[in-house]
Amino acid sequence: MDIQNIRNFSIVAHIDHGKSTLADRMLELTGTITSRQAKDQILDSMDIERERGITIKASAVTMEYEHEGQPYMLNLIDTPGHVDFGYEVSRALAACEGALLVVDATQGIQAQTLANAYLATEAGAEILGVINKVDLPAAQADLVAEEIEHVLGIRKNECFHISAKSGLGVKDLLDAVCMLLPPPVDRSDEPARALIFDSQYDDYRGVICYVRVFSGTLKTRQRVRLMGNGFTYQVTELGKFRPDMRPVDELGTGEVGYVIANIRDLANVRIGDTITDDVHPAPDALRGYKPPMQMVFSDFYPGNNTEYPRLRAAFDKLSLNDASFTFVPQNSQALGFGFRCGFLGLLHMEIIQERLERENDIDVVQTAPTVSYEILLRDGTVKRIDAPSELPDRTMVEEIREPFVKLEIITTNDTIGGIMKLAEGRRCKLLKTDYLSPTRVMMVYKAPLAEIVYDFYDLIKGVSHGYATMDYEFTGFEVGDLVKIDILVNGMPVEALSLIVHRSNAEPRGRKLITKLRKAIPRQQFEIPLQVAIGGKIIARETIKAYRKDVTAKLYGGDVTRKMKLLKKQKEGKKRMKNIGAVEIPQEAFMSVLDTSD
Amino acid sequence: MAELATGPTRHGLRCASCVKREADSQTAGRHVLAVADDERRATSNESAGLYVHIPVCRSKCRYCGFYSVPAGGVDAGRLVDGLLRELERYDDGIEFCTAYIGGGSPTALPAEELIRLVRRVRERCPQAQEFTVECNPGQVDARLLGGLKTAGVNRLSFGAQSFNARELELLGRAHSVGQIAAAVAMARRSGFENVGLDLIFAIPGSTLADWQAGLEAALALNIEHVSAYSLSFEAGTVFEAWRGTGWLAAVDEELDRAMYEEAIDRLERAGLRQYEISNFARPGCECRHNLGYWANRPYVGIGPAAASYLTNDAVRASGRRLTNDADIGRYLAAVESGRTAPAETNLVSPDDAACETAVLNLRRREGIDLAEFHRRTGRDAMRIFAEPIGRYRQMGLIEVADRAVRLSGQALPIADTILCDFSALE
Repeated sequence: MDIQNIRNFSIVAHIDHGKSTLADRMLELTGTITSRQAKDQILDSMDIERERGITIKASAVTMEYEHEGQPYMLNLIDTPGHVDFGYEVSRALAACEGALLVVDATQGIQAQTLANAYLATEAGAEILGVINKVDLPAAQADLVAEEIEHVLGIRKNECFHISAKSGLGVKDLLDAVCMLLPPPVDRSDEPARALIFDSQYDDYRGVICYVRVFSGTLKTRQRVRLMGNGFTYQVTELGKFRPDMRPVDELGTGEVGYVIANIRDLANVRIGDTITDDVHPAPDALRGYKPPMQMVFSDFYPGNNTEYPRLRAAFDKLSLNDASFTFVPQNSQALGFGFRCGFLGLLHMEIIQERLERENDIDVVQTAPTVSYEILLRDGTVKRIDAPSELPDRTMVEEIREPFVKLEIITTNDTIGGIMKLAEGRRCKLLKTDYLSPTRVMMVYKAPLAEIVYDFYDLIKGVSHGYATMDYEFTGFEVGDLVKIDILVNGMPVEALSLIVHRSNAEPRGRKLITKLRKAIPRQQFEIPLQVAIGGKIIARETIKAYRKDVTAKLYGGDVTRKMKLLKKQKEGKKRMKNIGAVEIPQEAFMSVLDTSD
Repeated sequence: MAELATGPTRHGLRCASCVKREADSQTAGRHVLAVADDERRATSNESAGLYVHIPVCRSKCRYCGFYSVPAGGVDAGRLVDGLLRELERYDDGIEFCTAYIGGGSPTALPAEELIRLVRRVRERCPQAQEFTVECNPGQVDARLLGGLKTAGVNRLSFGAQSFNARELELLGRAHSVGQIAAAVAMARRSGFENVGLDLIFAIPGSTLADWQAGLEAALALNIEHVSAYSLSFEAGTVFEAWRGTGWLAAVDEELDRAMYEEAIDRLERAGLRQYEISNFARPGCECRHNLGYWANRPYVGIGPAAASYLTNDAVRASGRRLTNDADIGRYLAAVESGRTAPAETNLVSPDDAACETAVLNLRRREGIDLAEFHRRTGRDAMRIFAEPIGRYRQMGLIEVADRAVRLSGQALPIADTILCDFSALE
């Protein structure tokens, strides 16, 4: 196929704006699948994606299309729709020359529409504006077109009005892809270089690399090298997704497909790495990606301690298909064995949790998410920590820096007040307010990530009656007046409950924690003080009262068996408790304090 | 009612295997006989306590969870015959060192039937140093008490429960405040030198002052023994149902504790030494029968819902606990046709026996006598319970002294939180 007739593009959109439906229509129109075959949203292969209306893993499909009598090869590289997956979006976009930016005609531009548009621009992709759902009664296509022009600088008369659901305008859009998006640059005579933009693990065939060839040609049985780590492999199969995997003999410059080379360990394949020929390697690798940065951390513990090995196996399995989340074993005195997991963002975390429970049927308890901190030590070295317990001794710490983000919230103008109030309470600084239309506003904040990772999104959804959307982008670490608060049970600090918080939040956060703890710890034979301390100074206190009366009044001959059973039960109840500072604390107590679900 | 010596099982709490066992006992005669033979042998090496349960009451008290039926609907003669039939099964060998007739209400029986029963029991237990009958203060007269004395009873336990008319009414007691003193006086006149009272505290609505007044009223009667029980809400009782609907509320835990501490303090000052969690006596007047339970010695229970603890010959610290059918009709049918009527049998392994002995011993103020414990169980309590003993000693809840392990005074109100750690071996 003439390289001039290849088009590589992505569809980017806010959640539920119709990205996957549009992809399905394109697959149908190009005959890649028949409508009878078409399960809705064929690109989303995981249940959970379909249910949540989002795509987690990028995938790629090759379509054939005839435009003005010429055969075209259209490679659609799907992207996740959420900000947390910005990393995956950008790596998909790096494999493309163009992007379709889809906006829902009934919703207008949303926070993630913008984030995606920025990513596409950064990747150097040509953007086509697409207004979807124009056939809905509530559609305001013209208003939305104005927003697009105002915010993104795409002219309103150049936007495509479609209904992905009915297929209206989709053929014109395909024609536009052929006409308006640029073809790949022809570097077919240079040494082979293919960008790995995704990978997947198959139990039988090992790692399947999703690649875009930028120069030269990949052939089956070719000896290839991963430029990042120097490992070499023999290509056993090349192919394209149509949408099922179809083997081909070679993948030429500009083409998109997969490479199977008997790679047994997913860890050996770094997304963003370049595949080249082992004998005639390219001098330079393709511009890769920044490795994803885990910004949000949370501990996962099995609901039942005996499930630990299963939890580990489940994480191993999940990591095969998601290189962007990390997990390290954790052994907490209070909670037993579990894992500290790092995520790109909050949604990423939620998805992992759901997949854990759904695909593995493991009940997990998840601690409230925290962020990563940068610690400047007295000796001038800088250290990243993911958990309060890793904070070095106070005397060694010069400053604690916390991650900040640029936070964009798009909402209706009548809900600005509520959102501003919320944001102020979370140490967010308003940078600017921009009217997208007379009724819709984009607010840009500088925000500490720690303040928005927990329940912030739910809260702004609440005050805006569901209208607000938000997105954020990491901007850097900045020094803050941060303190570590320790929770002391009967005078003993409980590491699992320590928190790093802004000084202004220390007391209310600590107090909330010990109030919950007081309710969750059963009474003992003595009074138990619960304290919140900052560096040895107590700032709040609660007390669990001692048992005052717990004795069987009558125990004679007829009661022995039954009373012994009751006592054994009482003893069993104690067994499940962790002994901390002579206090018997049920694991459930910690869980209930740390669990984010209430 | 009253001071319940061997506690019959609560009605309505029967597991499937018990029901099956009953069915077996109806059909498999040989098996039942084998059990019976076994029983005769079972306690032959150690003198045992004998408990007879009278499962009838004139009316049911609202807090009482023990098995009893209205006295009017029961043929008393047939009941006493049945009880004596069951007692005959233990003919050989077993020597009873104490006898205790409880209920229910023994005094709800016609006087002549109760006296007939007492006489026959006394004949069977000539060596028993203590023979107690529980009495309802509203159901005694000089003739009955005199008859009991003559027939061999030497200790009376009156179910006084309260000296407060409102409380007696709420509890559903069928006697008045005045009848308590009258009954005690009558007992003295009949020659009883060992008289006890049962009292209940932490009754909904009562104050510490009410309880103090009750203690004073009891002490004014110059009795030898007091059992003071914190009210508990037992399954299947009217009180439990009322609490469920919110009509009744348990008294505040602090008040319950204050009342308990008041009882210990006041009774001790009056010379009634606390010898068990809920029991107080003048020195030498402790209830020997009940001490048998807390020493974990064997006992035989006769009557519907009565429980027995039969120890093995070979391994003394093991055996089984049997509980008779809590149904007077089925019970009588069984004993009249020469069968036993156990509804439930629980085997007690040597480990179980060690734990039960420890838990029961620790209810006594003297605690676990280490030598006695070793004799009974073959175990060293300091070793097998090293962990809880060490831990609670540090906390001041357990004392180890004079070759004994006992709960400290501050441990008594929260004894269960400690005893549970002795309920099973690690």
